[in-house]
Amino acid sequence: MRIKLTSIMVDDQDKALDFYTRVLGFQKKHEFPVGEYKWLTVVSTEAPQDVELSLEPNANPAGKTFQKAMFDQKIPVAAFEVSDIDKEYKRLRALGAVFVIEPTKMGPVTLAVMSDTCGNLIQLYQPS
Amino acid sequence: MLLNNSTFRSLCRARGLLSESTEDRLTIRTIAREIAISPYHFIRQFEAVFGITPHQFRIHSRLEQARLLLAMGGYSVTEVCMEVGFSSLGSFSDLFTRKIGESPSNYRRRARAMVQVPSNYPPLQLFPGCLSLMGSLPASAFRNFQEARPTALR
Repeated sequence: MRIKLTSIMVDDQDKALDFYTRVLGFQKKHEFPVGEYKWLTVVSTEAPQDVELSLEPNANPAGKTFQKAMFDQKIPVAAFEVSDIDKEYKRLRALGAVFVIEPTKMGPVTLAVMSDTCGNLIQLYQPS
Repeated sequence: MLLNNSTFRSLCRARGLLSESTEDRLTIRTIAREIAISPYHFIRQFEAVFGITPHQFRIHSRLEQARLLLAMGGYSVTEVCMEVGFSSLGSFSDLFTRKIGESPSNYRRRARAMVQVPSNYPPLQLFPGCLSLMGSLPASAFRNFQEARPTALR
């Protein structure tokens, strides 16, 4: 059994594709139309054969409720590892990204939390 | 942009007001005043955090609510139109068709056909959950997964 796929709910798949590629720097791997939605995944350019991230529509009411509750409690729903969090923080802010926690040392990592503009807070972390 | 805790909470509260309210009287300006941010900063910060303007968000919320009511409730299109805060059936139908891709009456008909047994939950084909789209992929999709190389968007 392998971990090859994970997912995050987004409130607009086209908006999410733009943010996760143009801003975060991932690249699109798959895009298949499925009715009014898409099967849409991205991968890291640093490790394109690594785990895929599916950008799932949050169409289901239970999904919307969960997503909003996590956001309102300032709980990130995904975390991405970076090599230099200060550099990424500057780069992302220059692209207009909104952070709710600036790079902060917490235990074994330095982390920052930002909005993905699609209803989620996501965490960036750099291991010490 | 780095948001402080107070502004973050205010924007979350504003989002809640926008999604709960079907009243056009609760204007963007009123909401900005409610959360003690100037309308200019409210619109700019809201868009930066949520990716769309407060006005766009309100329209989106109403249409999402309309979709659910059309699929689940025993409401006519006119009743749904009024319920989600549109005063004109024509405007509602035009907007719904433009954003969703089909008329409210077609959508209602299609959704009702998918509900075999009365349920508290909407049909998954129209309101999918996490990963449930995988089951709707064409038969060749997983062969493509093995063969596909990542496609750079830029």
